[in-house]
Amino acid sequence: MKGSQVTVKGVEKYFGGFHALKNVSLGINKGEFYSLLGPSGCGKTTLLRIIAGFEDPSAGAVFLDDRDVIPIAANKRPVNTVFQTYALFPHLSVFENVAFPLRLKKLPNAAVKEKVGEFLELVKLPKEGGKLPSQLSGGQKQRVAIARALINEPSVLLLDEPLSALDAKLRQHMLIELDAIHDKIGITFIYVTHDQQEALSVSDRVAVMNEGEVVQVGTPSEIYESPSCPFVAHFIGETNYLGGEVAEVLDGKHARVDFPGIGALYVYQDKPLSVGDGVKVTVRPEKIRISSDKPEGQAGRMNVLEGTVDELIYSGFQSKFFVRVSASATFRIFRQHVKYFMDEKAINWKDKVYIWWNDNDGYVVEAEKNP
Amino acid sequence: MNRIGKHATPNRPTGKFSFGMFTFVICFLYTPLVILVAYSFNQSKMMSWGGFSLRWYSELFFNSESLWHSFGNSAIIAVTSATISTAIGTLGAIGFYWYRFKFKKLIRIAAFVPILIPEIIIGVSLLIFFAGIKLNLSLFTIFLAHTTFNIPFVLMVVTARLEEFDFTIIEAAYDLGAKELQTLAKVILPAAFPGIMSGFLIAVTLSLEDFVVTFFVSGRGSATLPLHIYSMIRFGVSPVINALSVIVIAGTVVLAVLSRNVVKYMFQK
Amino acid sequence: MKKNLGPAYVAPITVWLCVFFVIPISIIVYYSFLTKGFNGGVVHKFSLDAFRALYNPTIFKITFNTFWVACVSTAVMVALAVPAAYYMARSRHKNFFMLLVIIPFWTNFLIRIYAWMAVLGNNGVVNHALLSMGLIDRHIQFLYNTNAVILVAVYTYLPFAILPLYSTIEKFDFSLVEAARDLGATKLAATLRVLVPNIRGGITTAVLFTFIPAFGNYAIPQIIGGSSSYMLGNVIARELTVTRNWPLASSISLVITALTTLGVLIFMRFNRSASEEARERAQDNAPMSAMPQVSAQSTGTGASE
Repeated sequence: MKGSQVTVKGVEKYFGGFHALKNVSLGINKGEFYSLLGPSGCGKTTLLRIIAGFEDPSAGAVFLDDRDVIPIAANKRPVNTVFQTYALFPHLSVFENVAFPLRLKKLPNAAVKEKVGEFLELVKLPKEGGKLPSQLSGGQKQRVAIARALINEPSVLLLDEPLSALDAKLRQHMLIELDAIHDKIGITFIYVTHDQQEALSVSDRVAVMNEGEVVQVGTPSEIYESPSCPFVAHFIGETNYLGGEVAEVLDGKHARVDFPGIGALYVYQDKPLSVGDGVKVTVRPEKIRISSDKPEGQAGRMNVLEGTVDELIYSGFQSKFFVRVSASATFRIFRQHVKYFMDEKAINWKDKVYIWWNDNDGYVVEAEKNP
Repeated sequence: MNRIGKHATPNRPTGKFSFGMFTFVICFLYTPLVILVAYSFNQSKMMSWGGFSLRWYSELFFNSESLWHSFGNSAIIAVTSATISTAIGTLGAIGFYWYRFKFKKLIRIAAFVPILIPEIIIGVSLLIFFAGIKLNLSLFTIFLAHTTFNIPFVLMVVTARLEEFDFTIIEAAYDLGAKELQTLAKVILPAAFPGIMSGFLIAVTLSLEDFVVTFFVSGRGSATLPLHIYSMIRFGVSPVINALSVIVIAGTVVLAVLSRNVVKYMFQK
Repeated sequence: MKKNLGPAYVAPITVWLCVFFVIPISIIVYYSFLTKGFNGGVVHKFSLDAFRALYNPTIFKITFNTFWVACVSTAVMVALAVPAAYYMARSRHKNFFMLLVIIPFWTNFLIRIYAWMAVLGNNGVVNHALLSMGLIDRHIQFLYNTNAVILVAVYTYLPFAILPLYSTIEKFDFSLVEAARDLGATKLAATLRVLVPNIRGGITTAVLFTFIPAFGNYAIPQIIGGSSSYMLGNVIARELTVTRNWPLASSISLVITALTTLGVLIFMRFNRSASEEARERAQDNAPMSAMPQVSAQSTGTGASE
């Protein structure tokens, strides 16, 4: 493997009185595509800048493989950055931008030419070398920035919200290309983003950050399916978030929980629960089925509720329903339009509906012991 | 990015070298001025400390009629030449920026040339010109000269302001039925007002400040303040000038604080 | 279609500058080819005397001195102004620092010159201090020489260098320096290869705004210079008001104008060709024709972006 293992140990960062990073520790594997995900101001960019060497941590250490890199200046670290604003040198052509690190090393012209050609090829811009950055589109600038950051053959590539300036469609496209580039060169990628979809779709693992702390590390599906705290449950995707009290502990993996205004529901749980504990439960909207007919013949422990459609948003590939089951409780539900819509029984505003989901689809995020 | 963003922006790695140079520059700029201020309260006529005194201030205020007369001249010329040059320069800036016409580029470039020519050349050429048309040197010739060198600066400053604003507002005004003059009065001038004000202030400053051009085009009895100062300092230190300097510096501080954004437009391209 | 009022807007400025700038300058050109009058003024008879008079060692020496003062003071000013402006633009207190620079700049020009007489003059603070401390027995003449003229020129024109540099550096995107550091550049390399080329416009303005007044300097050598530090401006004033040789004053004025213009042109040319050269070199190196195959995908996105 060409990439480096990155270890962040107990990193703290203060800006004046502001505590930007609170005891952050991470282990990033060789060649991993690793995302730091969180809302703006959560400290993810600061952490990236510390790894790059633009900031020094107030405490703690960063290791590349087994080498402590904090004493090493940014220009000496085998780490390169793709900046959010691209940071292309406006006075230099695309070619010279990419060649910049090689010129610093005073490589002979022929070698520079060959290598820059190779990397422009990698980012699919073989013909744009003579242009100035101002003559490029946003996506092209992005590619130049990537080529420039890779030409030094770093062992870790840091990407600071690299796609935030692009429009949605192009962002999708660039994500796929980034993934392809990562597969091709095999170095460690650390990707900072506030966009959960970006993070989930390309990462091997994701670290979710909030207010200077790492709140959960896991694969995209772990993060999505088993959020470790309310913040993660809310930040990643949309959800129904309910609070209730354990009525019965079933088989160690399931429980029956009383929800005020809703009633008793079966949930999945992996925490030691006992009767009377207060719990918070997340149910993803796409896990809930909706129909105007009462569901029949469903196996296992099923949660079935009755309600009325309060609001309904059609968006092509799916519809989003807000179903009121009581004066105090509304569920959001996504229904994918897998069939031609005429085949499905239409559900309209104000309709009476049934909603149901499996006991495994409600997940206990947080539990509070009954005192 | 609000509260947190402010903190999370990179801590500013301002280098020690640039800090040192900046400190040196500020000390260099202020040391002589601080010394002037200190010695304006000196009892002694010499630049050696003879105890605290306000005698030079009383000398300045109660016994320097010709100095105040020249200050009056300076003020009259500053205000009149700044007014006329602001009017002419602003119209020119609007014309150059908003219309297309023959020779526009040539005239526009030519209008900036006086900035790029040493002051003394303007002074000398105007002196010879006034002599040629038999115009006696007086406050009036000083006014003409000051207006001439002020116009390009006003043009530059107002143009910078015009480049900042969105010209679709003018199209919007026409679209909503405004006539040419109404558009000028109700849209263009108000929108360009900060630039026009900056232009006017710069013109006032340049006029009050000017020594070289004035030196050539002033006649007997038409001394401005800089000319008067010149006649006083030619032969050495004069404590009354120390006191005057303090007044001038104080006036400058007030003016600078009041018009902080003026310089913003001055060196934009 | 609205009426074209452009010429109406521009008429006042055009007329004014024609009458009070173009015509007077033309008169200077004209006068420099005339014979000098007995008591000032000119006799309308063609003569090249005014130009012949320029061909003499004294004028050469003064021209050289003028260049020397202008170049040295410009170099010192830019060298001080770039780091100072850099610091200001990067600081949290930039508005305050800006004000600090503007205040001396707006303080009357003559008072700023006078301040140095008060400090370094024969009866100035420094001499008094040294005398009273017994370090010297008689005053040292700091002023009335070329170095004093350079010092005071730097003092009076320095803000002309700082302000344009400040406004370009302030607009400079500092993530570029970080990018350069990230790519392996040392602080010095990042400054020279990334900062300086991108603030070239500000440097040009700073050089022009300081070189021109320094070259056409009249007041400073008049007040604080000595006979050794005479500059072309002083010669003009002398010919105009004392010797009353107007054709000669005119021809020297022409020389100053021509030399400044030349200096400005050479500088701008040099400046432009440096950046053009970089661009051309880049284009030579771009492997444009060497890569015949273009992936359909990249052209596709290129079009959609």
